[in-house]
Amino acid sequence: MSAVIKYIPDWIIFIQAFIAFSVPLLLYFLYTKLYHFVGKTPSPNVNRPNEKKEPDEVNVPFTGSFEKDMEIIQELIGGNCDFRTREFTMAKLNRRAILVYVDGMQNDRLLNVKVLEYLMFEATAEDMGLPLKAAELLPFESLIEAGDIGAFNRSVLFGHTGLIIEGFPKGLLIELPDGANRAVTEPVSEALLRGPRLGFTEVLSENTSMLRRQGFTDQLVMKTYRVGTRLKKDLVIAYMKDIVNEDLLREVDSRIEKMNMDFLAESGYVEQLIEDNYLSPFQQVQNTERPDRVINEIVAGRIGILLDGTPFALIVPATFTMLLQSPEDYYERWLPSTLLRMLRFLAAFLALMAPALYISLISFHPGLIPTELAITIIETRQGVPFPSLIEVLILEVAIEILREAGIRLPKPIGPAMGIVGGLIIGDAAVQAGIVSPFLVIVVAVTAISSFSIPTYSAGFTLRLLRFVGMIFAAVLGMYGTILFFLLMCSHLTKLKSFGVPYLTPLTPYRLQDWKDIFLRVPFTLMKKRPAMFKTRNRRKST
Amino acid sequence: MFKRNDDKITASQATIFLTNTVLGAGILTMPRSVTQAMDSPDSWITILIGGFVIMPVILLMVRLCLKFQGQTIFEFAGKIVGKWPGKILCLLLILYFIIIAGFEIRTLAEVGLFFLLEGTPIWAIVLPFIWAGTYLVSGGINSIARVYQIIFPITILFLIVSYGFSLRIFDFSNLRPSLGDGIMPLLKGLKSSILIYTGCEVVMIIVAFMENPKQATKAMLGGIAIPFGLYFLTIVLVVGGLSINTVITSTWPTIDLIRSFEITGFFVERLEFPLMVIWLMQMFCNFCSFFFQASLGVSQLFKVSYQTMIFIMVPLIFLSTMVPKSRQDLFALGDAIGMMGVWLFLLTTVLLSLVWWIRVKGLKQHV
Repeated sequence: MSAVIKYIPDWIIFIQAFIAFSVPLLLYFLYTKLYHFVGKTPSPNVNRPNEKKEPDEVNVPFTGSFEKDMEIIQELIGGNCDFRTREFTMAKLNRRAILVYVDGMQNDRLLNVKVLEYLMFEATAEDMGLPLKAAELLPFESLIEAGDIGAFNRSVLFGHTGLIIEGFPKGLLIELPDGANRAVTEPVSEALLRGPRLGFTEVLSENTSMLRRQGFTDQLVMKTYRVGTRLKKDLVIAYMKDIVNEDLLREVDSRIEKMNMDFLAESGYVEQLIEDNYLSPFQQVQNTERPDRVINEIVAGRIGILLDGTPFALIVPATFTMLLQSPEDYYERWLPSTLLRMLRFLAAFLALMAPALYISLISFHPGLIPTELAITIIETRQGVPFPSLIEVLILEVAIEILREAGIRLPKPIGPAMGIVGGLIIGDAAVQAGIVSPFLVIVVAVTAISSFSIPTYSAGFTLRLLRFVGMIFAAVLGMYGTILFFLLMCSHLTKLKSFGVPYLTPLTPYRLQDWKDIFLRVPFTLMKKRPAMFKTRNRRKST
Repeated sequence: MFKRNDDKITASQATIFLTNTVLGAGILTMPRSVTQAMDSPDSWITILIGGFVIMPVILLMVRLCLKFQGQTIFEFAGKIVGKWPGKILCLLLILYFIIIAGFEIRTLAEVGLFFLLEGTPIWAIVLPFIWAGTYLVSGGINSIARVYQIIFPITILFLIVSYGFSLRIFDFSNLRPSLGDGIMPLLKGLKSSILIYTGCEVVMIIVAFMENPKQATKAMLGGIAIPFGLYFLTIVLVVGGLSINTVITSTWPTIDLIRSFEITGFFVERLEFPLMVIWLMQMFCNFCSFFFQASLGVSQLFKVSYQTMIFIMVPLIFLSTMVPKSRQDLFALGDAIGMMGVWLFLLTTVLLSLVWWIRVKGLKQHV
């Protein structure tokens, strides 16, 4: 009996046990509270009867009387300084008509002149006589009838040219908006040496056409949504009808329908509104500027999401390995691609862990490194008054600031500032004895490694987690670094993107999918689509 | 969408689950415990025999589980021997799991304190480790199996590489003479060579979670074959590299083996630090297995939610970690755990199989 009593731990252990119990519980409650707090977005399906109807939903029908219609339009939108009207008489018809448009949104002046010429001098009674047939008989490529004044006004302000003819109780929209656009350029954030030089632009129709132009097929489906509650925008989801998984499609559809935001400025808004876990540091939706990337993923069974007004398309579901793959892997031959891919995995590891490893090696286990090297490093650190965590933080933060500044610097002085910042500050910091020269190497390698990640946003995650890893390393050395790695793995295994576990196909082992993770095997061996999306049509080639 | 049943694991995951549950701190101390019991260089033969003894045990467990598809031992034990006896049996099993979990962390803490973090208070090592485990275990069996699949290749690869380097001090004469003292030492060592498979009771839980129970036999045998192979490799290399006299006196013979040579001109000159650091991950997996099984057991026995049970398990495991007062206590506890394992095997697998066999085949009852 006394032998048993001897082994009952003392009260300090019990207090520690209580701490052991309460900390995870506390964290769990904090997490769930935070998750619910962040996730509490009101669903648009809930009716709020006491709220007034949105002001832009004016549905005044056209009266049919020319003066009265014009009066209403003038009253509603005539106050805008860029609103223009051009009233004229149709000579052969002897009727009055008016063109309404917004300044600066019709670039093709010539066409405007032709339209006017046609309307004023050529349009005959036969053409215009029967109001119902107007749409069929007018020689305009794009002609939409607007049923009520509200819709007509919205379209005119969006850039359509409106035409109202005396005695015709409808507004005609005869020209598509053609505002100022950027030319198609090479994608800036994802430059490649080999591969198409085409990047998405801000115009949705151009972007969808780029996807269409990738190849002849009748299976590529593009579905439009109107998103945004106040300023509405077009959003298109693109997928292959005979490949995509039905359930995935339904899930994407329902998440897009559920978005509730008055204005979606960029596809980043969409990304953040449809992602699975908004507290995770990992991005669960892939973004890209490259049409070839989007079409490749669509053919693999994923779904592309394009938003008007941004060159960044989204790809769902995203998995971890996608972040480290580049389209170029498939354009080059398989051996160099495999090498590059492994190099990228190594770079990602360095970008994440190098400073943490430095801290734990220097502060905790200098015995791990070869003795001569350890002596050299310790000698160079002799003048450094800070612990290694502070030392690393100084230089890491400086590098992060440099990166951030580098984006905003005007192009001509950017490289110059990079040299000033990187070389001179690094060298001066060593000379001044703030950091050790070995650390400058570590930080430089880290920074360069993080630039080799093909997706810019994926680099963010690594940058963020790098600092977490440094803190773990500073507290518990190598043991802390391992704990950090284990925690990260645990988090990744729990994460899902649209129901697809984030770590597929890394785990569970599927030999089929492993041909395209660390390696990129020759195409002749990649005959099937990734199994993880449960696509309908598995075979790529026969 | 993609309504994959998230409680299910594939055959490869089940294999690795079993391997990771068996393969923990044991590999660091095993050469000493076996060689000490035998006092002869024939320990490798004993390990072979031990492996062949453990195979039918695994087979028996799998057979029993396959009778109750989709159910863990916590669910079917009551059906075989009646509600309360079943519950007591399962509680014993759960207690056993908690003790092993504590034992694993304590071993890790001892190793960590000795090699990595001298002077650190022990709770500073133990607590973060348990918390990290809590986070993983709360993800359920699927998350756990996935993490295992990430970590397993890393640790095993590193272990094999370290062993490969150790070949330079391998001396075949250390393993001779074979059977110089006859058969008796083999039998003396047999006990310790079976004890290293503690944790294989997990079979009776993971088979229930398999996507395809038809592959259970193959997967489980594979899962026990990997540690078997590694143990065999370890004993041959450690005894061959260090000679039995050194092995018997060393606390962590496997680490000492790696420690006893230097690779000059390589980035790290000595591999024991990296090996230990990497092996920490393996011990993490090992610990999480027992943590998971204990939580799952209580939640299934008493119909408590699994998440709640995880939180309640944390202090219990912590207490069981802190109970041993010294390293001697710890090793004694390790031996005791082995014995408990044997008794539990007799009680659960053999007894349950027998009762089931008598009731179904003898009394023609429907169980």
